[in-house]
Amino acid sequence: MSLQSNKILIIGGGIQGCATAYFLAKRGQNVTLIEKDRIGRHASGVNAGGVRRLGRDVLEIPLSLAAMDIWQNLYQEIGEYAKDFHPCFYLKVAVDEAGREIGLMRAEDLSRAGFTHEVWVEDDHIQARLPHLSTPTHGGLLVEGDGWATPWRIVQGFANVAKKHGAKIIEDCRVTSLTKFQDFWQIQTAKGLFEAESVVNCAGAWAAGIARLADDHIFPLEAYAPMLVVTDKRPKILPAVMGVVAHTLSLKQLETGQFVIGGGVRSKASPSINQSDVLLPKLSSSMKLASKLFSEIGNAQVVRCWSGIEGYMPDNLPIIGRGRQNGLFHGFGFSAHGFQLGPGVGEALADLVMGQQPRISLEAFRPDRFVN
Amino acid sequence: MSLNQHYDLAIIGAGPAGMAAAVEASKNNLKVLVLDDQPAVGGQVYRQIDKNYHNSDELSYLGEDYWLGKKLVDNFWHSSAELLSESRVWQITRDKLIFFSQKGLAHQVQADFILISTGAMERPMPIPGWTLPGVMSVGGAQTLLKSNNSGVDGAVFAGSGPLFYLTIWQYLIAGLKIVAVVDTAPARLSLHHYLRAIPALLQLNLLLKGLRWKSYIRKNTKYFSQVRKVSISGQFAAESLSFIDRYGESKKLFASHIFLHQGVVPNVNLTMATGLKHYWCPRQLCWHPETNIYGESSLKGVFVAGDGSGIAGVGAAILSGKTAAKRIFQYSRRPPIFSIFLSKFKRYRHAAARPFLDNLFRPPKDWRVPFDDETIVCRCEALKKADISLAISLGVAGPNQLKSFCRAGMGRCQGRMCGLTIQQMIADHNNLLEKDIGYFRLRPPIRPLTVGELASMADENVPAK
Ligand SMILES: Cc1cc2nc3c(=O)[nH]c(=O)nc-3n(C[C@H](O)[C@H](O)[C@H](O)COP(=O)(O)OP(=O)(O)OC[C@H]3O[C@@H](n4cnc5c(N)ncnc54)[C@H](O)[C@@H]3O)c2cc1C
Repeated sequence: MSLQSNKILIIGGGIQGCATAYFLAKRGQNVTLIEKDRIGRHASGVNAGGVRRLGRDVLEIPLSLAAMDIWQNLYQEIGEYAKDFHPCFYLKVAVDEAGREIGLMRAEDLSRAGFTHEVWVEDDHIQARLPHLSTPTHGGLLVEGDGWATPWRIVQGFANVAKKHGAKIIEDCRVTSLTKFQDFWQIQTAKGLFEAESVVNCAGAWAAGIARLADDHIFPLEAYAPMLVVTDKRPKILPAVMGVVAHTLSLKQLETGQFVIGGGVRSKASPSINQSDVLLPKLSSSMKLASKLFSEIGNAQVVRCWSGIEGYMPDNLPIIGRGRQNGLFHGFGFSAHGFQLGPGVGEALADLVMGQQPRISLEAFRPDRFVN
Repeated sequence: MSLNQHYDLAIIGAGPAGMAAAVEASKNNLKVLVLDDQPAVGGQVYRQIDKNYHNSDELSYLGEDYWLGKKLVDNFWHSSAELLSESRVWQITRDKLIFFSQKGLAHQVQADFILISTGAMERPMPIPGWTLPGVMSVGGAQTLLKSNNSGVDGAVFAGSGPLFYLTIWQYLIAGLKIVAVVDTAPARLSLHHYLRAIPALLQLNLLLKGLRWKSYIRKNTKYFSQVRKVSISGQFAAESLSFIDRYGESKKLFASHIFLHQGVVPNVNLTMATGLKHYWCPRQLCWHPETNIYGESSLKGVFVAGDGSGIAGVGAAILSGKTAAKRIFQYSRRPPIFSIFLSKFKRYRHAAARPFLDNLFRPPKDWRVPFDDETIVCRCEALKKADISLAISLGVAGPNQLKSFCRAGMGRCQGRMCGLTIQQMIADHNNLLEKDIGYFRLRPPIRPLTVGELASMADENVPAK
């Protein structure tokens, strides 16, 4: 098979890989993206679509805000596909006094750090904006302009504009080995041998394996399968995305009237065979909370449950930066909250690969932070 | 109800296969639980037999085969098996936990062995107008007789298959008026076909019965054979049915009730969602779970019996239930060699006519994939054939990918209505075999489950892991 020469090769066709391909191609770089299955087949295409800054680790907020700048002008980047992003507001309510304490403390921490996007609101504000709420709250945290998107469409959008700008996207093509020769990489794949100056590892839950192939750092990345359910169509009662302080719940209502319920509860994943389990009963507490917030939801019928394979880091922060090997870059380990970050990560990785200074610090995401 | 219990054997589905297995296993002192989503036992064939038995003189039109089921049901009641009716099983895990809901609450039980005997479902017949009110499946028409002891006067029956003829015959004997019978089976004139009839003679009774029904129907109804291009029209509900008869003439019949049928296929939603291996059966044009001669699936300790493992009829279902129960009882021992031969022989004997019947009633493509672009394929998402063709032409390689492109199969029926049609359409577009296309990846809950029911488990012990 003939050798295909590239300047930059990206491994993984999720949101991180596709956004990175787009920003590089837009800046005129010669880039090829390789995906072992199909674009958006894994976490990026099946996630809850939560586009939220709310509740982020303080260390992650600058990246999340940078990403949000792109989300807010998404039409300019990906055109038509941008209409699958629905900004509204994100509200995380406290359902008891303990939750209120935690929420108030969080609000204080944020304002001390100088962040103004996430604020505390009292129950009267919440009731006024959510008249169908079935229960009084103890206040909550609010972010205006956060929302939700149809994840698969957004990933397709980035892949498409990347292609328009000249990026090559190759699907059904698994990377099986990575070898460094002086100052270029040789990449063996299911569809032949590739050569590139730089390799970007956006392989999601499989990324530690890619790092191993490249003889890079050993990453303590673990794979799990967060679960979601969607209900049948119901009258519209929820104009926001919702969570509950100190609980793993995310709740939203789609334009069709269907509720999507999930958030954090995860099942077993077996990345080597592309398999993720679902164990519905594990979601029972989330269901209980959701029907407490809106009693109407208790009558809704669960139509489907699914899960996706996601890579988690021990500190729940991603790995973004240069690898140990020259010409190798990483962007993975998003620990179930990387969809919103995607466009920001793509931009930052494009900067790094091109030897430029990203507009935010990536210090907290250093790949070598687990090397002792 | 003291659930959270442990059983030797849990059986899902109280039709002939499930009941036979329960009787056999209880005889051997196994602790057996039977779960069924209906209020009464019997499955499709023996639906409501206990209730109807008191009335059997009046309901004699249900036919002697139906009443034969009474013995099995009585044996079931005399057995020590526990029954939980109106229990919808929505998930089975690999470690053999069974989750189900009953009367608004969700529960779990665990068993060493599980037998899935959830039977068959009717193959959808997506022709123009099949989603109009007034159009129903023939199985539904038969259920009316069994559950309500009343049918519908003045209907048109369109389709083919054993259940098709049986139900029409029952309607006629019950004294109901039928506007016409529109038989969609094509002529089967090849030698190849009649060679299959030779082994079928082992089930001569069955064949003769079929011939008797058919000649009775021909005599007593307006009967059209070998029809093509059947379509239903009506503004808000079905008003008429049009077709081209065997002489090439267009015909139109007026009726507000139209019953469709194209045979039955195994109901694989539970077996697939449980992760059992399946294979494509080209003869029956549907998926079957992979099992050995005893009905044991690819997942250790999980068995499948009855029509859910391949369409073979009630006699074979009872036998397969018994066989599975026996095997479960002697699980620790190796089955004696001759028992394998005996089982094989018995199974063959009980399904000898199948290849012949399968071929005789094999639905041509026109009844499996709409011949008209405007016909709905996915009812839940209201997608027409044209919508799905368009998505497929964008380079979709399989049913799961299609979901992202156009949401087909993502509704509450979980692909029961559109799965086989979509699989065939993708195969045709890509010039591949159906078996290479695969089916929807099915996931629990495979039965209706409300958020409230699931929430009710929050207070129970949820398995860690
Ligand atoms: C159910 C669920 C709900 C979620 N909800 C949210 C949410 O609401 N908000 C939010 O912000 N985040 C959410 N997330 C997290 C988010 O989806 C992920 O963090 C994000 O999509 C990760 O993107 P990625 O591109 O790194 O990974 P992926 O989408 O997994 O992409 C990695 C790709 O790399 C490919 N690959 C792997 N190995 C190879 C190889 N050897 N050769 C070629 N290709 C390879 C894989 O096939 C895969 O397509 C959720 C995740 C899940 C699973």
